[in-house]
Amino acid sequence: MSMRSQVYEWDASNYGSATTYAVASNIGTKISIFVGGVGNNITKPAETSATEFVVIEDIAVTPSDFLQSVYATTSATYRGLTIGPGTGVAGPRAYVQVRINTTDYFLDPDNVPNDGIPGSGSPYPRSVNYQPSFNLYPDVYVLPGQVWDVLVTMYNDTGVSGASNFADGDLRAFVKYTLYDGPDALIANKLLEMGISINPGNVDWYKRSLLQAGA
Amino acid sequence: MSMRSQVYEWANLAPSGSNSTLRRNTNDIPVSVPANREVDLFIGGYGNNITKPAETTATQFIVIEDIACSPTVNGAVQTRINTTDYFQNPDVTDMLGIPGLASPYPRGASSDYGTTDNNILKAFDLYPDVYVLPGQTFQILYTTRDGCGTSSSTTEVVAAFCKYTLYDGPDALIANKLLELGVTINPNNVDWYKRSLIEQQQASRVAAATAAANGGTA
Repeated sequence: MSMRSQVYEWDASNYGSATTYAVASNIGTKISIFVGGVGNNITKPAETSATEFVVIEDIAVTPSDFLQSVYATTSATYRGLTIGPGTGVAGPRAYVQVRINTTDYFLDPDNVPNDGIPGSGSPYPRSVNYQPSFNLYPDVYVLPGQVWDVLVTMYNDTGVSGASNFADGDLRAFVKYTLYDGPDALIANKLLEMGISINPGNVDWYKRSLLQAGA
Repeated sequence: MSMRSQVYEWANLAPSGSNSTLRRNTNDIPVSVPANREVDLFIGGYGNNITKPAETTATQFIVIEDIACSPTVNGAVQTRINTTDYFQNPDVTDMLGIPGLASPYPRGASSDYGTTDNNILKAFDLYPDVYVLPGQTFQILYTTRDGCGTSSSTTEVVAAFCKYTLYDGPDALIANKLLELGVTINPNNVDWYKRSLIEQQQASRVAAATAAANGGTA
């Protein structure tokens, strides 16, 4: 019986580990931050058991900035981001998408799944230079028994500091979620049925109302 | 049945030799955008586009919560529902919309290319939100007064951003109902309406049971 705030941070270089991850083979493709084979991974796909309920509250990825193509000949940095020569973009031009089972969460207005939230809209890390324009509200619910994934796509291979392999901090992603377990997961399901937002405050309120009804 | 937070990001980036693209590519480069021309972020023919005009189906309801654009080259961003521009001058004439300097994307970006002198923060909040009713077409229009790529040696990259919530199925019906009631449409209020429906059902069930127990009289 618990509600636990959880965080997962992913770094495409696995924090500069001895194992290298090539940039060229990973641009333009969706990389799972859990089991994608790039950077730090976990042992199996993220899924909820029959007694678990996950609420994803925030996702973010390395930001990018928009400059000019005049930087064609100078490989430099701008506000901590590597400028892609000729592209006019500093940083990896990265996006982050949430997938529940086989369904992508973020869509274009023509109802076609897109790359997800841009790092410039939801940057990680946040800084004075790169502040969020996006908050994940309403939250994303992962119901008991569902598989979920967070997918990162980057397009600017010259916007990372590692020439051919990812370097520490080139591409990072962040997920904040709350894990409801045991009876709290049952209460989360009940709140979902009732159309009440699932957060620790409302789970506590439901428990109090049960106690009051039993008194 | 869902409420989903959605984002659309546009930038004047496309593969060499073309002005627009349906999918982002790893070899995208900046394309020129003429000055004082409204560019539809979705199907404007510049940068990344989608397959058809943005519109809601009969079972969808969209609430636009934020729009922003690069705070450079005197850019501005406008919302158009069907054929009506949302932002207008006090004399009811057309305007370019919200300046990027007032609603910057990315937030904290510099107003001058390549300099780190300043961090532009938002001075504008899209409140009340903009509603796109079922069956309506909407556009987000970006205009630059200065133009991008006017110099032969360099082309500026500009971007625009739109954050909206998509209500689908029964949630779109509830959104319509809230609109009729004059209640602001947001996920909290949609949930509140669902709860009130459940409470009504429970109350009527209890009343029916009570009536049955009393031999048919309430």
